Amino acid sequence: MFLLLPFDSLIVNLLGISLTVLFTLLLVFIIVPAIFGVSFGIRKLYMKTLLKIFAWATLRMQRGAKEKNHQLYKPYTNGIIAKDPTSLEEEIKEIRRSGSSKALDNTPDFELSDIFYFCRKGMETIMDDEVTKRFSAEELESWNLLSRTNYNFQYISLRLTVLWGLGVLIRYCFLLPLRIALAFTGISLLVVGTTMVGYVPHGRKKNLLLVNLSQSQHRVSSRVNMKVLTYYRKPRKNRPRNGGICVANHTSPIDVIILASDGYYAMVGQVHGGLMGVIQRAMVKACPHVWFERSEVKDRHLVAKRLTEHVKDKSKLPILIFPEGTCINNTSVMMFKKGSFEIGATVYPVAIKYDPQFGDAFWNSSKYGMVTYLLRMMTSWAIVCSVWYLPPMTRETNEDAVQFANRVKSAIARQGGLVDLLWDGGLKREKVKDTFKEEQQKLYSKMIVGNHEDRSRS
Amino acid sequence: MGNEASYPAEMCSHFDQDEIKRLGKRFKKLDLDKSGSLSVEEFLSMPELRYNPLLRRVIDIFDTDGSGEVDFKEFIVGASQFSVKGNEEQKLRFAFNIYDMDKDGYISNGELFQVLRMMVGSNLKDWQLQQLVDKTIIILDRDGDGKISFEEFSAVVRGLEIHKKLVLIV
Repeated sequence: MFLLLPFDSLIVNLLGISLTVLFTLLLVFIIVPAIFGVSFGIRKLYMKTLLKIFAWATLRMQRGAKEKNHQLYKPYTNGIIAKDPTSLEEEIKEIRRSGSSKALDNTPDFELSDIFYFCRKGMETIMDDEVTKRFSAEELESWNLLSRTNYNFQYISLRLTVLWGLGVLIRYCFLLPLRIALAFTGISLLVVGTTMVGYVPHGRKKNLLLVNLSQSQHRVSSRVNMKVLTYYRKPRKNRPRNGGICVANHTSPIDVIILASDGYYAMVGQVHGGLMGVIQRAMVKACPHVWFERSEVKDRHLVAKRLTEHVKDKSKLPILIFPEGTCINNTSVMMFKKGSFEIGATVYPVAIKYDPQFGDAFWNSSKYGMVTYLLRMMTSWAIVCSVWYLPPMTRETNEDAVQFANRVKSAIARQGGLVDLLWDGGLKREKVKDTFKEEQQKLYSKMIVGNHEDRSRS
Repeated sequence: MGNEASYPAEMCSHFDQDEIKRLGKRFKKLDLDKSGSLSVEEFLSMPELRYNPLLRRVIDIFDTDGSGEVDFKEFIVGASQFSVKGNEEQKLRFAFNIYDMDKDGYISNGELFQVLRMMVGSNLKDWQLQQLVDKTIIILDRDGDGKISFEEFSAVVRGLEIHKKLVLIV
């Protein structure tokens, strides 16, 4: 066929040949092993090389900065200021103590200096608050050759810029098309596969087929972004079982793929339109997931009822839920909504922690839409994450749902090395209620007037 | 807001170039509508500040030109009062200004009442609050004019080592 084309289309010929070669390579090295769960170890090698390059790049930048005689921006791990966490009572007592000569100072009174605590706390928050920074991407200490993470981008050296340019070339011209092709294959595999499995009658064979299909499909999707996943699943018994609820912290839609590569779950979520809708409908054909209409989500009882029904049926897969309700930037775990903890099923907590050096997986949905997000994912180096399966937990008799949710949350935060916050992830979009201020005021009032005056004690 | 490369020296703050740059980034982040100044609404977008009953007073002190919003210069100068390198006098002034709502150099009975009311919310009745205010003024008012001047304020508060309490390490 090539011989028939005119000579001056040599470029087109070459393009054609290279594309075919690429596609064959694709098929052989990536998809087929993915379906069977085999890995060549190429990804680990890739990671090691990248790490070495990043370390060199950072050193180079530091040296460059020193030469030009100014400091490289090094963020405190917690923000731009060093904070001193003390409570209202402690601090006010301390301030008073250092001033007055009253020895055993428990007499409630007002001092002019009491305002210092509020001033300082206010200033600290203005400079750097714990909540809003969870809704934007984490800042890195060393540069990973992506201009999107470089907050200090200045021209340092020719070599560094060349390296960066090379990185851009590799990521956009090689990795990106590769990944898009993989993504298409993966999705079509899913749709075709689930439709076929849908025709198989219910029973053990079906479940087996389902398992294999879903796992291989998800593995292919993982290869899309060159994910290197480390599953810490030593105690076999910690894996989620039928009739249980699997609970994890939420950073991006990719979390779902990661968990599904290593197990099989029934998903819970809102019905979407478009591409997501197609995928959801395909998945439902094969096994019962719990998809809600947007209007139903508001009705918590309905949701709880459907979840309870699903959980009671032991032949159905364990439910996967993200109780934070929204994507958080993976430096912390925010408040878990108590709905899933009220049902009374066994909860299997899972902690997911991404390594931000290779690519930031956080989906800032107020800043980027789904397509932009996917493009960003596909043009970063890789997505690297660790998954820990924690021992199952059940609600104890003297605990209510909120306490249980907090207990699970602390376990996940501790394992993943994340900060455990009580703030609601919904604050991304909504404002805080004034009740918080009222609580603070109540606390302070007690200090200056004494407990016996406080009649509103519950 | 533009040029981050250098800031005018008349910023008269205790921060060096680097710290100003960081604070600049923070300012930009807080300025949600990109108007170049921070309104009360934008401050309130930080959930933890809602805890703080004295927020409006702090914003008021920052807002030296009375425009109702805090522009970048006011932000830096305000933050600078909390710097480690600030002197005790400056910090005492800041604390004094929290009470002195009309900026006339004296804390009147009414002003002290209002600030206390902010701090306790609705948990104390008017007469209880008034008692506390009257007691405080009687104790502190040396020259008998019924108000607390800056000198009278400092006399009480000076020994408390504020320079350690009103400090932010950027």
